[in-house]
Amino acid sequence: MTRPTAAPVLRPRTGRAYARRNVGWLYILPWIAGFLVFKLYPFASSLIYSFTDFHLFKGITEYGVMNYVDIFSTRKIVAALSATVWYALTTVPLKLTFALLIAYILNFKIRGQNLFRTAYYVPSILGGSVAIAVLWKALFRDEGLVNTLLGYLGIQGPTWLSDPAYAIWIICLLRVWQFGSAMVLFLAALKGVPEDLYEAATIDGAGRVRQFFGVTVPLITPVIFYNLITQLCVAFQEFNGPYIITNGGPRGSTTLIAMLVYNYGFKLNEMGMASALAWVMFLAVGVLTVLSFLSQKYWVYYGDGER
Amino acid sequence: MKKLFALLLVVSMLAAAGANALAAETTAISFAWWGGDARHEATQAAVNAYMAANPGVTISTDYGAWTGWEEKVSTALYAGTAADINQANWSWLINYGNGGKTFVDLNDYAEYIDLTQFDQSALDTCTVDGKLNGLPISVTGRIFYWNSDTFAKAGIDFPKSFAELKAAGEVFKTKLGDDYYPLVMGEYDRMIFMVYYLESKYGKAWIENSQLQYGAAEIAEVFDVLKELEAAHVIPSIKTILGDGAESLDKNPKWTDGRYAGILEWDSSASKFQKALSNPDAFTVGEYFADLGAYQGGFTKVSMCFAISSTAKDPVACAKFLNYLLNEKEGVELLNSQRGIPVSKQGLSICKENSLLDPLVAAANGKVVAWCQFKLDPYFEDAGLRAENDGVYYDAQQGVSYGDYTSAEAAQILIDGINEVLAK
Repeated sequence: MTRPTAAPVLRPRTGRAYARRNVGWLYILPWIAGFLVFKLYPFASSLIYSFTDFHLFKGITEYGVMNYVDIFSTRKIVAALSATVWYALTTVPLKLTFALLIAYILNFKIRGQNLFRTAYYVPSILGGSVAIAVLWKALFRDEGLVNTLLGYLGIQGPTWLSDPAYAIWIICLLRVWQFGSAMVLFLAALKGVPEDLYEAATIDGAGRVRQFFGVTVPLITPVIFYNLITQLCVAFQEFNGPYIITNGGPRGSTTLIAMLVYNYGFKLNEMGMASALAWVMFLAVGVLTVLSFLSQKYWVYYGDGER
Repeated sequence: MKKLFALLLVVSMLAAAGANALAAETTAISFAWWGGDARHEATQAAVNAYMAANPGVTISTDYGAWTGWEEKVSTALYAGTAADINQANWSWLINYGNGGKTFVDLNDYAEYIDLTQFDQSALDTCTVDGKLNGLPISVTGRIFYWNSDTFAKAGIDFPKSFAELKAAGEVFKTKLGDDYYPLVMGEYDRMIFMVYYLESKYGKAWIENSQLQYGAAEIAEVFDVLKELEAAHVIPSIKTILGDGAESLDKNPKWTDGRYAGILEWDSSASKFQKALSNPDAFTVGEYFADLGAYQGGFTKVSMCFAISSTAKDPVACAKFLNYLLNEKEGVELLNSQRGIPVSKQGLSICKENSLLDPLVAAANGKVVAWCQFKLDPYFEDAGLRAENDGVYYDAQQGVSYGDYTSAEAAQILIDGINEVLAK
């Protein structure tokens, strides 16, 4: 027969003790308020609006899934969706490759190392800058610097901004050029690779390339994975580049889904459709993120031996 | 301590009472507009002069460039945070008017605004559901402007007929080179040209009683004409214009250096195109083409108006200020023709007496008003149709120019898009 356990002693609650126990809530109250007002409320209300035909000046007259049906049956929206997926799947691998390559080079002891690191990082600081997008436009217009330089080499440069086949690449190039933040993370990861592994690999006869793919890459896969996820999220939300450089043209070739959200929301005032588009974008990023997480057990190596 | 506290309480109560009294005597108005630097300076000067003459009124101003302005104002109108007085595009009265509820009915303030200075037809165009939601500032229309220097270099006079325009393309190409064109028209310009062409030939307004008046065959005919103009080197293709990478036509180096020698532009916007030229004196107002058809095609519209938001706390003060800007000597003189040729009879008379009208704008406006027989339907400017690169106009015009659509396909896309907007 078990003895009954003693009932917990109820201590009298004083106001001071209560305040001390809960003062933490006060500290995070600004964040909670900001989260509720600026994140959770728009997040939840946009989901509700996405199932309505909410127009800023006409209100709501219809409820249903019509926005989602329209999204997948309207030519320009489908084109924007596929352009966005293409843009993300093109820029992210290219950006990560460049960032890793440059970080690998800058990891060697070379003269002016800090200067190079700074120079390569600067474009990332200017990432969202409107001025850079304007500069990009000036570089690639028909009579811009790029075609002028090509002209000196006897090459007739293409119409970068007005040819649908090239325009999207100009937008991609801007994003890939801003690889600095990913590069800094790779640099930090490369510093963490133990030297003795390289020594062992050298003794075993592995060259630089073999060492890179056999030692370096496997050991920095967690950082590659982190960069992949964050850059995917950023790529799907790309707005400034196409908005300023090509304004979505020519022939809609650079109209990405974030631009359509803006156009529907603020040009046409169709907030219902804008919300639905935002949710489709969110789900697309979500699906790709989940797939990435599912795939990590096959290629991401953590220090504790787990995959 | 208690005495000190009591003293502080009394002092703060007296201070609060004083502030309330001061606030009661002061009327605060907010005023927002878009435009260029010259308009900003003129308008701010008028605001300052009004405040100096009316010490009880303070006017806060908010102004900027056109790009993004409409989106900003429409969102503010919805949120109820818009300025008390807004310079509004004519189509906003319908698009954002919410059945006449977004802006006050200015008929209710006729005591403070001299509405007799405005033609009834102009007031009618700003009336939504029986409510006068806007005060028309100026009337405008599109007309040709030419760079006479470039035409002189080509050895020809600027075109006075459509036949002469078509012939000029080959002359420009042969004598000046591939980069030179007698006329440049972007997507929206081409839409205006389409309407001008059709109205001149068939004598029907583009839209009447919420019905598009033209069929697919007639619209396709104009797409064919535009393709001919491109092929004959009269106008550059859309691809060429986009490749220029210019923010707008007046900032396009090919316009400023004379390689593009003509535009079809609003008379109220002419100044910025003139100033952009390396030789502004070469900027010449053109003629309407009589050989397009038996009718005087082309349209006029209220270029912009002033509207008082229904959220304005003191609409009477706003109304008095609007009357000052549009009908009173000091206000009119300070604003001059920064917003086009005034619709207000009093305003126009003051401008003329004091030689305040830009001669070029006045000449162009005179030709527009004398020639154009048609009115523009406000839905012509619906965002779904004219939104840059996203609207139906851009899709149809770019599609034809890029060779993605036949004229018939583009005509059908245009008709479907317009009918969809009209049906809303």
